[in-house]
Order: sequence, then structure tokens, then C-alpha cells
Amino acid sequence: MGSGANKLIIKLNQRFFLGLTALAVPLLTFLAPKWLSISGIGPSWAVLWLLPWALVMGPVSASIAGLCLGLVVDGIAIGQITQVPVLIGLGFWWGRLGRRGPRIERSLNLGLLALIGAFVVGLSVWIQNFFLSLKNFAPFLIAWGFHTLLCQAVITGLLAPIICSLLLIFFRKRYSSF
Amino acid sequence: MGVAPWVKVFSWRFWRKTAPLLFLICGLGFVRWSKGVFFSDAYAFITRPFWPGNAQRDWIQDGNQIELRTRIGLLEQDNQRLREMLLLDKSSGLNVTSAPVISRSPNGWWQQLELGKGRQNGIKIGNPVIGPGGLVGIVESTTPITSRVRLLTSPGSKIGVWVSRTKQHGLLLGIGTNRPQLHFLDKDTKALTGDVVSTSPASILLPPNLPVGVIQSLDTEVLLAPKASVQLTASPEAIDWVQVQIN
Repeated sequence: MGSGANKLIIKLNQRFFLGLTALAVPLLTFLAPKWLSISGIGPSWAVLWLLPWALVMGPVSASIAGLCLGLVVDGIAIGQITQVPVLIGLGFWWGRLGRRGPRIERSLNLGLLALIGAFVVGLSVWIQNFFLSLKNFAPFLIAWGFHTLLCQAVITGLLAPIICSLLLIFFRKRYSSF
Repeated sequence: MGVAPWVKVFSWRFWRKTAPLLFLICGLGFVRWSKGVFFSDAYAFITRPFWPGNAQRDWIQDGNQIELRTRIGLLEQDNQRLREMLLLDKSSGLNVTSAPVISRSPNGWWQQLELGKGRQNGIKIGNPVIGPGGLVGIVESTTPITSRVRLLTSPGSKIGVWVSRTKQHGLLLGIGTNRPQLHFLDKDTKALTGDVVSTSPASILLPPNLPVGVIQSLDTEVLLAPKASVQLTASPEAIDWVQVQIN
């Protein structure tokens, strides 16, 4: 086996071990720390993990990570609403941003990307809720949905500069091929 | 002549590279299908030393006494009617088990509780979950050692309820906000703000006459049937122990 194959195996192993940090997503979703919430609504932990992963690993790996993460977060939530498509899409978009544009590492950029990500995730959940169970409650749905959407996007955007920056540094340092 | 790309699918190297990823995705698909069977159990295992202690259980028992007094009042009102409806006697005995709340998200997109007891303790999907003050929610999914509860406030939650003063049935629907919406089945409702809403005395799915909440506001100008906003008597934000009725 040539040195190229060896390098590939090392890279895959590195990705696998770095990917284990994603286990923090279900753990934090379960823990739901109250002091990291606005009006009792916590951040989207999946978005906070996926953003730095996508910026470092690229679109294909991030899409697969979005799929895996989506399956996990769907598994630990009630009902049939899914986050899989939106997380795959976000992973792909952020992966392309990370590979094609200038390097993204400023706090403000990370915060803005995470805020948009949490907003898109919330919007998809809101729309699914609307069609699955709340068609007849449009006024209530708008008020509750808007409140939840806004709170989650803001708290995710506020936490991103801290959490995403740290994860970004960690992934870049550990993933040697970058 | 080069090899066509689809031929690579049959090669050993291709499968060696992609098999672990496919296994991972299949495994996570199973997690999704089973509603987080492995993750819930692992979380329960890790956090077991931090589960709420017995002091909270005593506090809940005090709360239960207040709840029981309310229930006795309601049961006495129904006693006469039940004598005429002998079929309802079956559902009067409560077989309950206490379970610690190991994770909660009473707000946000998913309004749910994670309990530290599951199938091994006899908990099944559809079992009612009772907190100090009254009904909290319904068990949505179970694993061997945990169970997940859909709160009454959660979108998609639907239970049949009863306004005891006017003896009218209605449907309590979770709409995401702290106050679920009560849809009356009759156009001519006599319910007033402050009326107690409880589970139906004729219910066989839920424990009968269990307090659920109090009518906070009424909207009688709806064309088909009136609607009311209900303030729940049990607050899932503050509960560390709940009781699950096992059938």
C-alpha cells in the first residue's frame, strides 16, 4: 500500500476522532442549561457544531456530518419533524464558503453565519409544525413561532463567536491536511 | 481504455473506504427510527449520580395532597353519576410509579421531558404523566431505562377534557405557548373564566377527573364552537419528580 493510501487512512481516522466531538450535541440538548437560554429557549447546538466542522472539512464531509447530526437530533426529539435536510444544506453551504472564499475566522462572521443557520433551522421546523399540526392556529403559531425563532437565532448567534471559534481552532490544529 | 466510474462500485477498495460511513449512517438511521434509544440511555447512565434526590419527592407529595383534595371534590360530584354508569368503575384505581425528570425542555420547538424510568419499570407509550398540580403530558416514546413525555403545551398534543362545572366536553390542544387552547364541542358553552378543566370522568385513556388547568380567557365569537385559553395547574419547569400511571 502506497504512502498516498496511508495518508488517506490517517485523514479518515482524524476525521472520525474529531467527529466524536459531535457527541456533545445530544448531550447538551439533553442538559439544556438554563443559563444559556433566552426565555427558556436554548441555542441550536447542532448549528454551533456544524459551522466550524463545515468551514474546516469542506462541503462533502459537512453534508455527511449534517445528515448524521440531523438523524441524531431527530432521534432525541418528539414527533416526526426533521432537521436532516436543512442541516445537510447548511453543511454544504458553509463547506463551500470555507473552501472557496477567504478564510472565515472573525467572531462577527461566525456569529452571523450561526445566526442565519439557526434562523433557517427554526424556519424549517416552524413550517413543518404548521403543516403537521397547527394549520388551524395561524395567529398563535405566528406569535409563538416568531418568538421561538428569534430567541433561538439570537442565543445561537451570541454563543457562536465563543464556541465556534474554539472548535474552529481545535479542528484546524488537529486536522493536519488543512 | 479507462474503467467506467460505476464499475468502481464493485471493487473491494471502494467498499473498504465507504463501508464504515454506510454503517455509521445506518446506525444513526436506527437511532432516528427508535427515537434516540441509545442516546437517551447513555445520557441517563451518565447523569444518574446527578438525578434529583428524595427532598424533592417529599415536596411533590405535599403538592399531591393539595391536588388530591381538589380531586376528591370533583370525584364526589361525579359519584352519583358513576353509580349509574358502572362501566366507568374500572378506571378509578391509579397504579402509578414515580420517575425522576432527567432532562427537560418546556419551551422551544420541542416541549418534552425525559424521565429516568422506562419499559423496564412498566412504562408504555400513551401513559399519562402526572406532576404536582395535575396532568403534565403523555409518554411519547420509551427505551428500556428512559421515557420521553410530550407536554400538554407541545404542538400536536391533543387530549379530551371536561369542564366540571358546566359538564361540557372539549379538546385541549397544545399550540406551543404556555397556555394550550381548549376547543369546546358545543356551540352553546356556559363555561366562564376561572372554571376548572379536568380530564373527562368518562375517559379510559387518561385517569378520570385529574385536574388539568383553569380557563384563563374565552373567545365566544368563533363561528363554529367557542375556544378558551387554559392556564395549566402543573408547571413542568419546576418539577423534578413526576408520577406515571401504568395501565
